Amino acid sequence: MGRNRLIPVLAMLLCAGTLAMAQTTVRGTVTDEKGEALPGVSVVVKDGGKILDGAFTDASGQYQITAPAGSELEFSFMGFQPQSFPLGQAPASLTLKPDILQESVVIGYGTVKKKDVLGSISTVREQDLLNRKTAGVVESMRGMTSGVKITSSGQPGSGATIQIRGIGSFTGNSPLFIVDGSYGGSELGLNVEDIESIQVLKDASSAAIYGSRAASGVVIITTKKGKAGPLKVTGDASAQIYWLPRYDLMDAETYKLYDDRAYQEAMLQGVAGITKTQNHYDGNTDWQSEMLRTGILQNYNVSLSGGSENIRYYASINHKRDQGALRYTGYEQTGFRINTSGKKGIFEYGENFFFTKSKRQKLNTATGWIWSNFIAMPPTIPVYDESHPGGYGYGDPDRANTYALNPVGYEELYHAENPEQYLYGDVYGKLDIWKDYLSAKLNVSYKNYFGETSRLRKKGNWTMGQGDDAASIGYETAKHDKILIENTYTFDHTFGKHAISAVGGFSYDTFHEEYRGESKLNPLTIGDRYITSISSATGTQTATGSYIEYALISYFGRLNYSYADRYLLQLTARRDGTSRLPAGNRWDNFGSVSVGWRISNEPFFNVPGIDDLKLRANYGTLGNTNIGAWDYVSTLNTAPRAIMDGDEKAVGITLSNLTNSDLVWERKTTANVGFDLTALSRRLTVSAEWFLSKSKDLLLSLPILWTTGNEGSAPTVNAGSLQNTGLELEVGWNDHFGDFSYSINGNLSTLKNKILGLGYGNTVSYTSTSISEIGKPLGMWYLYKTLGIFQSQAEIDSYVNAEGKIIQPNALPGDIKYDDYDPDGQIASTDRQVVGSPWPKLYAGLNVSMAYKGFDLSIQGYGRFGQLVYNGAKATAGDFVNNNNNFNGYKPWTQEDPTTNTPRIIFGDSRNSRGDQDRWLEDGSFWRFSDIALGYSLPTPFVKKIGMDQIRFSVIGKNLLTFTRYTGLDPEFADSGIYSIGYDGCSFPNPRSVQFSLSFTF
Amino acid sequence: MKRIVYFLAIALVTLPCLISCGEKYIDIENGNSLNTSMFWKTEEDMNSNLIAVYNMFYRQGTWTRNIYTQLNGMADDGVSYAGWTELNEWTKFKYTNYNFAEGQAKIWKEHWTAVNRANQVLDHIDDEAIVFGNENDRKDIKGQALWLRAFYYYYMVALWDNIPLLLHMSSAGDQPANSTPDEIFTQMEQDLVEAIGYLPLTRSKEKARPTKGSAYGLLARYYAQHHKWTEAAQCLEWIVEGEGKSVYSLEPVWQDNFNCKKENNVESLYEIQFSLVNYVGFDQTDNYRDANAQLGTQIEINQSPKGTGWNNVEGNRWIVEYFKREKTTDGKNDPRLFYTCWYDQATTDFPEHGDQLIYGKTWSDGYADSGNRVFIKKYSTDVMPLYYWNDNNFRSIRLADMLLLYAEVLNEVNKAPTAKAVEYVNRVRTRVGLPTLAASTYYDGAKIASDYTAFKEHIKIERALETAFECVRWMDLKRWGFDEATVKELQKRDVDYNNFELGKHERLPLPQREVDNNPNLEQNPKY
Repeated sequence: MGRNRLIPVLAMLLCAGTLAMAQTTVRGTVTDEKGEALPGVSVVVKDGGKILDGAFTDASGQYQITAPAGSELEFSFMGFQPQSFPLGQAPASLTLKPDILQESVVIGYGTVKKKDVLGSISTVREQDLLNRKTAGVVESMRGMTSGVKITSSGQPGSGATIQIRGIGSFTGNSPLFIVDGSYGGSELGLNVEDIESIQVLKDASSAAIYGSRAASGVVIITTKKGKAGPLKVTGDASAQIYWLPRYDLMDAETYKLYDDRAYQEAMLQGVAGITKTQNHYDGNTDWQSEMLRTGILQNYNVSLSGGSENIRYYASINHKRDQGALRYTGYEQTGFRINTSGKKGIFEYGENFFFTKSKRQKLNTATGWIWSNFIAMPPTIPVYDESHPGGYGYGDPDRANTYALNPVGYEELYHAENPEQYLYGDVYGKLDIWKDYLSAKLNVSYKNYFGETSRLRKKGNWTMGQGDDAASIGYETAKHDKILIENTYTFDHTFGKHAISAVGGFSYDTFHEEYRGESKLNPLTIGDRYITSISSATGTQTATGSYIEYALISYFGRLNYSYADRYLLQLTARRDGTSRLPAGNRWDNFGSVSVGWRISNEPFFNVPGIDDLKLRANYGTLGNTNIGAWDYVSTLNTAPRAIMDGDEKAVGITLSNLTNSDLVWERKTTANVGFDLTALSRRLTVSAEWFLSKSKDLLLSLPILWTTGNEGSAPTVNAGSLQNTGLELEVGWNDHFGDFSYSINGNLSTLKNKILGLGYGNTVSYTSTSISEIGKPLGMWYLYKTLGIFQSQAEIDSYVNAEGKIIQPNALPGDIKYDDYDPDGQIASTDRQVVGSPWPKLYAGLNVSMAYKGFDLSIQGYGRFGQLVYNGAKATAGDFVNNNNNFNGYKPWTQEDPTTNTPRIIFGDSRNSRGDQDRWLEDGSFWRFSDIALGYSLPTPFVKKIGMDQIRFSVIGKNLLTFTRYTGLDPEFADSGIYSIGYDGCSFPNPRSVQFSLSFTF
Repeated sequence: MKRIVYFLAIALVTLPCLISCGEKYIDIENGNSLNTSMFWKTEEDMNSNLIAVYNMFYRQGTWTRNIYTQLNGMADDGVSYAGWTELNEWTKFKYTNYNFAEGQAKIWKEHWTAVNRANQVLDHIDDEAIVFGNENDRKDIKGQALWLRAFYYYYMVALWDNIPLLLHMSSAGDQPANSTPDEIFTQMEQDLVEAIGYLPLTRSKEKARPTKGSAYGLLARYYAQHHKWTEAAQCLEWIVEGEGKSVYSLEPVWQDNFNCKKENNVESLYEIQFSLVNYVGFDQTDNYRDANAQLGTQIEINQSPKGTGWNNVEGNRWIVEYFKREKTTDGKNDPRLFYTCWYDQATTDFPEHGDQLIYGKTWSDGYADSGNRVFIKKYSTDVMPLYYWNDNNFRSIRLADMLLLYAEVLNEVNKAPTAKAVEYVNRVRTRVGLPTLAASTYYDGAKIASDYTAFKEHIKIERALETAFECVRWMDLKRWGFDEATVKELQKRDVDYNNFELGKHERLPLPQREVDNNPNLEQNPKY
């Protein structure tokens, strides 16, 4: 539309005729920032405000115009910042920069101009994505927007998790992902190179149109589409080498020294059953070296796109190969995407398909296991030991008394593979019903997933005391179908100063997933080869299976109104019905209202330097039912069996999982106040906002008492309420000096949560390390406080309570002095106390990018500050209480050398190494430069000569530089749930990497 | 005009959909299983609900694994030198983490699950809408459920004393308060009296189900723990001299009580039935949702000697020494020693058995470095190599135990040993070839037979040897009570008692998470 409007104006200008003067012919090309030709850019010759001539760039972005001496050339194009140059100074190859105020922002069932946005929306643009080259969609957003926390699992082919504005809900704080207008999963096999932009909707009013799914925010992903023009081919290839940080663990020689001392101490003290030191194995194994290696991730993409005015197409193919940095892991993925759209008269259609097939070689157990096992496994144990079944080394009561697993043996004897495939298809038809005002759209999308995990358990042992396990093979499959049908009507028109756009419609969304599992003992073996066919195995066969299904129906509408481009209003309403709640509680209504005032457009507003200033406020309510499909139904367990006589089995039926059958919608209400400022010739942008959200009737699988006899997960309950408040500030600056351009974007945010209510009428709730009390933040550290180390018997004897009772009568010098918080003269459960907060006081992010001629450099960093973190690695090592290894530089207390904070070591006595003491807490603050990317694009003339449009090389270093005092592996770890937000239980660390890539376009 | 036609066409297609997309599309039934609204309606429902209570025997926290470590490890007959420090500390009165998953949490949790399952049966069994073909079957189910619930409470009180008393199905938000052992004992005694009225004298099949004798046996244990000696004596009288006499007698070959050959034998008042019918091939099958979960016991691998299995619990040396105090009438060592323990001198003590193989190795080949440690042989099988599970039924209540208890109770009732009391002790002794008390070459038979205290003290020894490692000793110790002198005595036999603090360690701490999250539940004293 915009471009159409320009045409008559320019045509008029062109007809105005020209004066005969000394003319110069100017030729050049206009491109966008990616170097793509911009057709239709208006080039106007001006002289002191008088327009002399005008032209448009052609399909390849080229223009030719004649201009008199002393005149000026002005280049303008809708959506881009206009630029003008004195004659002769315009570069032959001009790059136009997008005008941020005119940029379109996708808000769900429509777009608005950035300048009209009323909610809190952050955008990650294509260029940022291209520069960073991340493997996953979520990863690509890391640190780029405020209020977003991303944690990766570090395993090949597994996704990262994302949280927007902290924890608002207890169930699934993962935001809703919308891919090209349809619901998607967080990763969905989506290829980052196919993404055009990512928008993060953080507040209730922005997300309101998505209703119940959007309580934790919305991430809208728009994939690339073809553009009118000749066939364009882009390709890129990248290789990343990456590695994982390692613990600095003792070697066998050092380990023996300390382990012997721990045993001697135990004998001195009379720990039962300890009569001699270990007769150590004589291995010297670095378990980390056995399991870790350099990972290599290769990624190849080719895309083809183009089209005409009426038909557009985009196709891409992608292949990824990841040799994990952890041995026995790997990932391979191949995918393709095709989308086309076409138009005839008032009818428009489009479709988008993609298919991904992948195969993952995975570790057998949860990710944390391997890292704690590195610590638990004594270095004295050799990797291989012929005397054991299967031939792997492991513990022995006299030589290395440990149940730790030999990771090499475990992975070699127990293989797991996980092939998966996704098929995703989306078809829409759109009808322009009434002029350009009213249109109707019907969208049907279908997603199909199939995943299988196959396992082969060979005969052999990996740990002490393992029984004579049978060999087995097993397959577990999961497949699901997801169908979404949406019908929307859009109205868009401006009546004088009144601009109205509205959208309304309904959607039906259904999901069905089937699980199957089968396993059989004693697979056939030929020599030492295992035949993995289930049918040829000879042992007991078992099978499992179940399914889930749920549906959601929604009616929704949104009205956007603006008056004179100054007063903005947005109203959203939605009614949702879910199958996941009991009949009678299934439907609920949600709505939001937003207002904005573009104060800079007021006649009275005349502040020099300010291009645009908008104040905005909104208030809205969202719902959430992100719970199990049938959490409200008391389902019976038909699995119990019992022996009645001999081998005669009987079938039992019982209620195992308790249920709350009165569940209702969880509701989250958010108020948001902020402003957006653009100033100093659009070089400075500032956005700031404050928000307050209250979640009520939180749906949560709240742990219940064991006395209930409940089995399995705790029943879902509408458990109390939670409040989040925060401040977010984003500041951006961009400028250029000649050919040198740069931009700096920073963001800061704070987040505070407060519990307003807990489930079942509780006022406090505990885990083994944390406490959650009404009026306080969730999951505060609740531990035994340590007061240093007893240096002498006199100190032990003088550590008494008010009544003079010796508090730790059994302690010896070198033991930990615990705070007798409840002054009853003994250390017991009542002495635990709040010792700190796991919540960061400040979140920050910074992006700096600069470009000079063909070079560009971007640096990205982010940090979290002020949180106390539980160092699970240190707790696991645990001071030689159990033959676990420990770290170099370890200095336990001794009579001779008592200046240390580490207690004496003693085997078989956990008095000093208990998990619930504050000695394991550390300051977890960190700042990390996550990405340092240097790129070089070959000069355009050269590239053109060899028939290309663009060739670019880049090298990116990731996670190479981190500033922290935290002594664990990585201060940025995946926590283990909302009540243990700062608990680093030997989490899988983030890999460090260097990546090289090459991309081209022709 | 054309547009209006399109508009109408779209409206026609979409509007009906708009209207019809209502409740029915979001009313989705869970077809994976039954739900409670369809259950507790028929006799069959009630029977399968009851079977689910029996299923609780096969759990790591009940009779598959951990209860053996816990009960034997705490008592003075057993000790744990497990490589897993926390596990062995948990049997040594050294409790650091009150939520310790293996020794504490699993046992607590699974016992409550068993109670809740029994309560499901008991909450519905009297519903008259449920029609039984034979009303006696209703009573039988009720009797079994009452018995099973009492069975689990018995062990919970033994471990924790001040637990809640729950007699109805749980709701998710329940926050029950502590009860005293006295309250629980009283209720369970009442329940068992009721159960006795419902249970049959014998069963020709389905031996897993308790009989009158099982109920008398358990009730006798309750009364004894409750020091209600007269009532206990009445129960034991029924077993030994009354109707039970026709059912129960001592198995002639003592060790047949602990092997697979003579399960559900004449000595057995109640056995937990184990089988390898659900052969799964490896561990990690303790899944309440898995119909293929194991139905065997891990007692063997759990107590197997150092270096073979887990060796989570073993014997204290005094057991061996006490056995060797007396010889059988034909001058040999007590055969019970050979079938109770593996130890260094077995070859010389029992030359008739030669150099026995312990999981494929002789003591001198495989276990010489274990010195004078004593490993538990009771309930071992001759499987090779050692496997996680075996199908050896656990004899939970057997007549020999009842006879010794009866003797003890008679001594208490009369404040002096009666002739009957002495006779029953002798019955247990002579079965294995030992002389009668009067003929004992080691003990002062005359004094024991005439003096209350001497008899009481002697019973402690007889019980230790006859029922070593059978998970009864901890309850015995509690029944006899702890004071400074007893603890001193126990310290001689079991170094674990060096950690024992009177007024605290007679019971375990309650799981801290339960105390923390339940305002009505108080932690046990001094924890």
